[in-house]
Amino acid sequence: MSSTLTVSHLRKTYGPYVAVDDLSFEVPEGCVFGLLGPNGAGKSTTFKCMLGLARATAGSVLFGGKPLEPALFESIAYVPERSVLYDWMTVAEHVEMQRRAFTSFDPKAAYELLAQFGIDPRKKARALSKGMKTATMVALAIARRAQTLILDEPTSGLDPINQRHVLNLIINESARGATVIFSSHQIGQVERAAESIAVIDRGRLALEGAVDDLKAGRKIVEAIFPSETYALDGVSGDSRVARLDRTGRIVRALVTSDAGEFVTRLEALGGSGVRIVDLNLEDIFLYAVAPSDATADVVGGASK
Amino acid sequence: MPVVLTVDPRSGVPIYLQVIEQVKRSVALGILAGGEQLPTVKQLALDLTINPNTVAKAYRELERDGVIETSPGRGSFVKSNGAADSTKSAARDVARDAFDAAVREAKSIGLGAAEVRDLAAAAIDRWFTEEQ
Repeated sequence: MSSTLTVSHLRKTYGPYVAVDDLSFEVPEGCVFGLLGPNGAGKSTTFKCMLGLARATAGSVLFGGKPLEPALFESIAYVPERSVLYDWMTVAEHVEMQRRAFTSFDPKAAYELLAQFGIDPRKKARALSKGMKTATMVALAIARRAQTLILDEPTSGLDPINQRHVLNLIINESARGATVIFSSHQIGQVERAAESIAVIDRGRLALEGAVDDLKAGRKIVEAIFPSETYALDGVSGDSRVARLDRTGRIVRALVTSDAGEFVTRLEALGGSGVRIVDLNLEDIFLYAVAPSDATADVVGGASK
Repeated sequence: MPVVLTVDPRSGVPIYLQVIEQVKRSVALGILAGGEQLPTVKQLALDLTINPNTVAKAYRELERDGVIETSPGRGSFVKSNGAADSTKSAARDVARDAFDAAVREAKSIGLGAAEVRDLAAAAIDRWFTEEQ
């Protein structure tokens, strides 16, 4: 069965508050997909709606073309943002509970993963730090051998070594063909592990695409013009220009494709000292979520 | 010899392009010899902690560029048929990109074509003295 995940026109309101608004994206089978957004953007609500833990107000979520139904629960593993471990149960008891609940759960793999994180299975959940609770939930989810993994902040509270380990587990899941969608505030992690991303801002899709395509296409083009009032005929109307900032004689444009061609265009208009600045995912993210009049000095360009 | 690749995921250069550039450079330098096996997609993804589909994309382009060949079930290898050819073309690719960047920079800070040509000639004279 295909595990392509399709979110279409998802909407979730709480009274007058719109948490998710007309959100659509698709995660192909075997893809690692990163969901990015500022705090309160609607990432966790999106995950909950996908899993049926919150009832969507409108829109649909399909797993391999089918709506969520009990028969699919076995094939989907979820790590929530906050711990759902039972404080009074040991880690080993959680392993046993998962074994009884899911036929494809592999207890041996679970114990190996817990050992890799340095977690003593005899410990009660209440004795675990925040990070170790996250690691326990990740270990239990990976041992499910699920076709689809939905991981809400799966590295939260972990030290850099264990964060890297979680990323490698995600990569390993993808390499065996599983579909993984995860969120993280650490953009560097998404930049490594994710093939594609969606940025959501105030419940709406702000940007979507393959990380490498976004980096190849989106560039800052800078040029110096002879005077502050120099006319930039047609440049601001160019569909490739997502932003245009003028500071004195310096013009900075965020272009979404064909930066090389845009350079020629600025030079033809009289620009000199034209340079192309690469953007990393953090820069691209900040441009996507910042209001258009406030980004002028948000981005310094990717460090080499 | 083990393949030593490093990528900087935080750079603005797409990761798959970084992998391609590094493999070509390794071939050009002879670190990777003709017939030598590359890590599997999964292994390289885990070694570098990068997305496996990104590695697969880099391998596909390297294959298209004639640098490596992949046989299903066996893995990816540096092309041994005409290894000298692929070494040379890989070296040319790496050098061309570096040259391109330098010329673009020179042009953007206001130098004319003639001046850039003089600089290129001077650089060639400096680095190839023994051939003069």
